Amino acid sequence: MTSLAHKPAQQSRLAQMGGLVSGAAILAIILLASLMASHLIPYDPIEQNLRNTLQPPSLSHLFGTDNFGRDIFARVLHAAKLDLMIGFLCVVFPWILGLTLGGIAGYFGGLADTLIMRTVDTFTAFPFLIMVIGVIAILGPGLFGMYVALTLAGWSIYARIVRAEVLVIKKSEYILAARSLGYGHGRILVRHVIPNVVTPTIIFAMTDMVLVILSTTSLSFLGLGVQPPTPEWGVMIAEGRGFILSAWWMVTLPGLAVVLVGVALSLFGDGIARILREGSQA
Amino acid sequence: MRDAGQPSALRPLVEVDDLTKRFGARGGLSQILGAASQRQLTAVDAVSFQINAGEILGLVGESGSGKTTLGRCLLRLVEPSSGQVRFDGKDLISLSKGDLRVARRQMQMIFQDPYSALNPRMTIRQMLSEVLRFHRICTDAAIPARIAELLALVGLDQSAADRLPRHFSGGQRQRIGIARALAVEPRFIVADEPVSAVDVSVQAQIMNLLLDLRDQLGLTILLIAHDLSVVRYVSDRVGVLYLGRLVEIAPTAQIFAAPRHPYTQALLRAAPRPDPDRHPAQPAIAGEPPSPLNPPPGCHFHTRCPLATARCKSEMPPLQTVSDGHQVRCHHHDLALLNPSPR
Amino acid sequence: MSLLDVRNLTTRIATSRGVMNVVEDVSFTVQQGECFGIVGESGSGKSMTCRSILGLLSKSGSATGAAWFEGQDLLTLKSDALQQIRGRQIAMIVQDAASALNPVVRIGTQIAEAMMQHGLVSSKAEARQRSLKLMSKVGIPATESRIDDYPHQFSGGMCQRVVIAAALSCSPKLIIADEPTTALDVTIQDQILRLLVALQAEFGMSLILVTHDMGVVAQTCQRVAVMYGGELVEMADTASLFRTPRHPYTMGLLNCVPHLDRDVGTARLRPIPGAPPDLMNPLAGCRFHPRCPLANDACKSTRPPLREVAAGHFSRCLRQDVLGKDIWNAESARA
Repeated sequence: MTSLAHKPAQQSRLAQMGGLVSGAAILAIILLASLMASHLIPYDPIEQNLRNTLQPPSLSHLFGTDNFGRDIFARVLHAAKLDLMIGFLCVVFPWILGLTLGGIAGYFGGLADTLIMRTVDTFTAFPFLIMVIGVIAILGPGLFGMYVALTLAGWSIYARIVRAEVLVIKKSEYILAARSLGYGHGRILVRHVIPNVVTPTIIFAMTDMVLVILSTTSLSFLGLGVQPPTPEWGVMIAEGRGFILSAWWMVTLPGLAVVLVGVALSLFGDGIARILREGSQA
Repeated sequence: MRDAGQPSALRPLVEVDDLTKRFGARGGLSQILGAASQRQLTAVDAVSFQINAGEILGLVGESGSGKTTLGRCLLRLVEPSSGQVRFDGKDLISLSKGDLRVARRQMQMIFQDPYSALNPRMTIRQMLSEVLRFHRICTDAAIPARIAELLALVGLDQSAADRLPRHFSGGQRQRIGIARALAVEPRFIVADEPVSAVDVSVQAQIMNLLLDLRDQLGLTILLIAHDLSVVRYVSDRVGVLYLGRLVEIAPTAQIFAAPRHPYTQALLRAAPRPDPDRHPAQPAIAGEPPSPLNPPPGCHFHTRCPLATARCKSEMPPLQTVSDGHQVRCHHHDLALLNPSPR
Repeated sequence: MSLLDVRNLTTRIATSRGVMNVVEDVSFTVQQGECFGIVGESGSGKSMTCRSILGLLSKSGSATGAAWFEGQDLLTLKSDALQQIRGRQIAMIVQDAASALNPVVRIGTQIAEAMMQHGLVSSKAEARQRSLKLMSKVGIPATESRIDDYPHQFSGGMCQRVVIAAALSCSPKLIIADEPTTALDVTIQDQILRLLVALQAEFGMSLILVTHDMGVVAQTCQRVAVMYGGELVEMADTASLFRTPRHPYTMGLLNCVPHLDRDVGTARLRPIPGAPPDLMNPLAGCRFHPRCPLANDACKSTRPPLREVAAGHFSRCLRQDVLGKDIWNAESARA
């Protein structure tokens, strides 16, 4: 009877750990391979070799070559570094901005709250991609523009989540206790409020990272993000677009890399989120 | 009655004068835009009392009586609307921020809900070290010893220090909250319903701990409670609040033996006792407390009072002294005395 | 014949950290027209006992044993059969009345809902008439003007009256009230308890009153069961339980609750040392032994049976021979 009742809890725990472990494993393999790409593959990702263009996948070129004769496997691996870094930073920057502003808005209330939250409203009023493209249009295409654009487009959701959480935490008696101990607002916010509101933001950031990587590749595909010849999945897909009928591997294999990273991040993110949620319940 | 007969007991440590707190007077944008007149809630209505050094004053009231707001006003966790609070002769209300921070070392609070009163992400050691460091209570090297001392003081095992709050029971958490308050070596503590969220079998432990701390450290305590039996055991004097007003205050033995306000009498009658032979035929009191947003004129209690007359409906009774240290806010306190025994 | 006969009820709840033994081998009966009290602290299993009987456990919980009500075992009934009994024959009143009511549905509709559901009224007009009657029965003033109000327009005490009216609507044979007055002020609690007792007498219902407050049971119930750590440790009629308790836990509880009527002088309360038990890792032997002043080696290894120690007075304690009035007094020096 006891063991029967115990089973469902164990099973679900195993299932969640499985997702987390496989997601983490895929990400780790991709990252490691990407960091050691120049040792693993004898080809340079940028240097052209016009005598060897549009080779189909073979043992010497696992993913084939592109129209400039570059090894696609090498380019896909080198691109992973960049794409994962952009995905990470374009979540971390808006997270920091949203955490700070949302924390201030929720904790202090009043005028600060009004100003910050009206700004949030303004930012959320723009569709995500329109805003990103608009900012890049002003700053010019490239990595810097993309960081700024994705941060500006992404922070407002974090600010909202954080503000809502802070409004709840603010009423806890331990915040009152901190005030009665004479702590300043800065200390209370940083040491007592923020640590108790980060969990839901990290859970959201995990799903956000997948979206950001997809946006990054989309922007690069449109020519607004990473510029050729730098290897990047979106750039590679864009370059292969013209050859889709004659050289399917140029588009398909970088595309599959995007899918694989997306799936791995989702599995990993879901696992982390569940563990964090359970931790905050206990 | 408890023995609080040290010489210092005669000197009031905390003096509260005409303290008033109104909520709902909204400022900011709605005021600028001329939003419709706000309804005001007078949570604390011109309350005055003193607490002597080394004394435990119990403050009793039902929900909406303003007891929690009053406690927070004393520590300026809520800014009073008017009135005075003097601590050791110094006016607290006019203190600047910096001076207030110094004053906060002398006055601490113990909270009702042991589950929300501790930061769930800090171990007990982190929590206490932060307090000790922030107020420079002792040198960094002396912190571990001081933490051990504090844990022993509130009756917790030394192994408690490195655990997170979620590993403790309600009673243990309440002890941790008390240790945090004691860390700054305060002279005055506001204990807001310290046992109402704690298990019955553990309540007495916490109540005895408060008494021990008063005796050992000479603490002065304002004990806020809704439960008369709790204040009876712990307090030297008891005040009763009804809709923000202090309606009666007297030494504990006096108020339980001869309550003079009809509301105090009703509270005493209504409290259930673990006595199977007691089956009072009449309900202690009819009706519901009026909304604090719209309190009745005159004596707030007249809508439920068996002694109410026309005068009670129009004229607020003053707080009158009926015997040594016993004050009551009732036009008919002489009749109330004749009322059948509250039991 | 008893109305409700609970036998060897055992409830387990699976959590991510392990299995909680929330109710352990609990047996009791409730007679027709009786008010039966279940007292205990948080985690004693008192609420879980009621939920198990009503089939209101969450999916991770499972109950074994039997709960006979009118010739049917509630624990083995299918959920739709149980649905017919819940509300119709057994009604429940919960602690937080304000959240037990749906905030967007008018009071009258909520009182009438169960009657409509169980087909006890033929028309809406009839339901409304019966709701009005019920409202005045539970002491809600100005029923005509308040029947179309929403819950937020009612105070906590009035909400609890509405909940009671809804519980009464199908004239149930048994009402289970789980801490019905804990969220209320003491003067309102007094009113609500009186109302419950008066209604129970008037309709000849049985009432199970679950509470942590010894004072509430003493004034309301005819018989009382005391629960500790998931077990029923003592059960007797109210007078003998309070006058001659036969379990150290009950004695300790009575000793450590402050009394209003005794002149206390400078006497201290005598607390029960230690903390309530951990339901994840139930102790061997008597679950109270770490906190008990009488515990000996036998108490640490043998689980005491619930024995009848006097007529109708049951206790789960091995040390009946040494139970005395002042078992807790020596303890006070330590605590």
